[in-house]
Amino acid sequence: MTDIFSFIFSQTFLIRALVVGVLISLCCALLGVSLVLKRFSMIGDGLSHVGFGALSVACMANIAPLYFSLPVVIIAAFFLLRLNENGKIKGDAAIALLSTGALAFGVMVMSVSGGMNVDVYNYMFGSILTMTDGDVALSIVLSIAVIIIFVLFYNEIFAVTFDENFAKATGTKTNIYNTLIAVLTAVTIVIGMRIIGTLLISSLIIFPTVISMRISKSYKSVVVLSAVLSVIGFLTGLVVSVRFETPAGASVVCVNIVLLIIFTVAGKILSSKAGSFVSRFKIPLTVSVFVLFFAAFVLLIGTGDPIEKKNDKPSIVTTNFASYDLTKEVTAEKAEITMLLRPGEESHTFEPSPADIQKIINCDIFVYTGGESDSWVEKMLSSVDASKITFLKMMDITGAELETITEGMAAQEQEEYDEHVWTSPLNAIKISKAICEAVCKKDRINKDFYNTNLDNFINQIQLLDKNFKQLESESKGRPFVIGDRFPLKYLFDEYNFEYYAAFPGCSAETEADPVTLSFLINKVKDEKIPVVFKTDNSTGNAANMIGKATGAKVMTLYSCQSVTLDDFENGETYLSLMEKNYTNLKAALS
Amino acid sequence: MKLIECDNVCLSYDNTVVTENLSFCVNKGDFLCVVGENGSGKSTLVKAILGLKSVTSGKIKFENEVKRKNIGYLPQQNDSQKDFPASVYEVVISGCLSSKKGLFFSREQKNLADSNMKKLDILDLKNRSFRDLSGGQQQRVLLARALCSTEKLLLLDEPVTGLDINVTSDFYSIIEKLNKEYRVTIIMVSHDLLYAASHATHILHMKKNGSLFLTAKEYLESDIFRSFKGGKKDD
Repeated sequence: MTDIFSFIFSQTFLIRALVVGVLISLCCALLGVSLVLKRFSMIGDGLSHVGFGALSVACMANIAPLYFSLPVVIIAAFFLLRLNENGKIKGDAAIALLSTGALAFGVMVMSVSGGMNVDVYNYMFGSILTMTDGDVALSIVLSIAVIIIFVLFYNEIFAVTFDENFAKATGTKTNIYNTLIAVLTAVTIVIGMRIIGTLLISSLIIFPTVISMRISKSYKSVVVLSAVLSVIGFLTGLVVSVRFETPAGASVVCVNIVLLIIFTVAGKILSSKAGSFVSRFKIPLTVSVFVLFFAAFVLLIGTGDPIEKKNDKPSIVTTNFASYDLTKEVTAEKAEITMLLRPGEESHTFEPSPADIQKIINCDIFVYTGGESDSWVEKMLSSVDASKITFLKMMDITGAELETITEGMAAQEQEEYDEHVWTSPLNAIKISKAICEAVCKKDRINKDFYNTNLDNFINQIQLLDKNFKQLESESKGRPFVIGDRFPLKYLFDEYNFEYYAAFPGCSAETEADPVTLSFLINKVKDEKIPVVFKTDNSTGNAANMIGKATGAKVMTLYSCQSVTLDDFENGETYLSLMEKNYTNLKAALS
Repeated sequence: MKLIECDNVCLSYDNTVVTENLSFCVNKGDFLCVVGENGSGKSTLVKAILGLKSVTSGKIKFENEVKRKNIGYLPQQNDSQKDFPASVYEVVISGCLSSKKGLFFSREQKNLADSNMKKLDILDLKNRSFRDLSGGQQQRVLLARALCSTEKLLLLDEPVTGLDINVTSDFYSIIEKLNKEYRVTIIMVSHDLLYAASHATHILHMKKNGSLFLTAKEYLESDIFRSFKGGKKDD
């Protein structure tokens, strides 16, 4: 029909997201009616935080997050109900206790296990990409079960929601139905977390109900309308997300906010005198007029073309700045290069948007690191047709080593391969050679051009290499102190620089614990080290603190993984940043 | 014919004894008014009769095929119902839940709901939203719901609280009609001593210890009624 729609339906991962998302929206809407009306709106929020806690444990213990979170969140739901019934701690306080408690616990577990990993981040903001087949199957089965159970016990759920005391007095086993609602909510939250994100899932429960309460006169119409609106909201959100390259979860919530405004105004008009002449048909009328308008709107944004037309140049997609810049050195303007990680973006929490995926699918060469920061690549490859693309995995080209844990470093539980392979100039040569080889195959006509560029680049790198080698002899017995993440292992190992650093390169943590800090402070004091380093793309808090405590100067080392917007616009390159590294390291030795 | 017998019951709330030595019985066709000061245990008694709360000691017995779930209960309104989007019909039919077999309400149950709405003169409100009704109309809807769960025994917990005088007297006349014409046994918790004494058949005046259970006639002549009545300056 249009580009966006044909795009959505041409991608397995988006169809999956669509199916699961629609089912979850339905579940949320159905349960939401009970939760909102029973004044339990925050239960969804509380449970999603518990889900977050469970998630961090699952990630640490390497258990499939979905299977672990499910029972934990169900138990938490039971627990919340009990607290509520005992009346010792009132509902909102109980939920606040549980949710902040679980959040704190999750953060603790994550810090012990070595910072936030990509999986946890995906769950926090939702990811429609990284669902495995198992996740999808489980989500579909569970959400269908939720819908069936809700329909079967519709009358009972109404009675318990409207007037629990009456229902109990007339022999309805209200405890069972309350528990049922809680369990169904827990299940919905857990499967919804994956796609919408823990932070936003409870909005999916609350919004549709509140919106339909603006105009509905009966319970049945609230239930039906919120189910319809929830699905409309999700689909629109998804289209918006594809069109404007925004995260799916947040897009869905924003669409819901718009719906709420529309329906509040509609409700006001309908209940005023002006609206009463349509009294008999007003709700069906409003809804159908609304649906028409909305469909028009969706079509309007859907007809936009999200993807630039391809031209004859070879198109190369790169993940981070290093791969982008090395590619650019080789191809100059003769190739279409895309850098997925936009300037200023944090690499370790990067998630490709559907449009990014589309770019990858249409490209000729895809350059990525293969480390933790782009672990999504492998998952994505399983759901798209990628047979025509040449993949260049930098860690395979250069070989990778485990992160080194130096003395005093706030170590992670799991040892990881350090992905910042390009920080060694010699590795950069290997990578650019590989890029050159790949691009020459795709674009034979410009072969000589690429090779000349490569030779020039290698010459410059060799100059840099000579400079670093000089530093090597000067630095004997004089360690560098990095009060930050340390992504420059390959550079330092190449030239045998000694160093002490606060965290390994891939740690998402940048707040040092007191032990690490005092170790580094003592080191700087004892050895009279004049400069303490921070790395680019961090707050530099720890380094500044060490600087303040010791009087050492704070300077920056560049990982070249991502650059700030300013640096990018000022035309900084891999070479220029590495030269800065050289200058700053030299300054530390003088 | 005895329906409920309450034998030497002691009720507590949060581990504090609210009332002790409470004994009374309700016969078919009775109109029993439960009166007493705030905190004398009226609401706790209602909950105990409904089985929402257990008695500390003593026994509440149901006889002649009356079961707990056959009591038509009109609870005090709670806040969440004020903006609950439910139609009158949905609220009334939910009273049939305890007799529902299978997944959906049967034709007879739907007819019962209709006839109860007719009985209370609210059939024309059937498709209106509960939250848009006036206080008096809402009470009638809840009464119709209570009737759906019983034909025999209604338990009304302060049904006229918050209603204005005209609506209150309308509501009272409905209750009397149910009691006299349809022979529905009624237990009503009330603050309205004068109404209770003049319209009920029996009065249970609750006190922490030594609650009185009297016929209305006896009650009118009792010291406790006189002292209460005398205490009211405007009487």
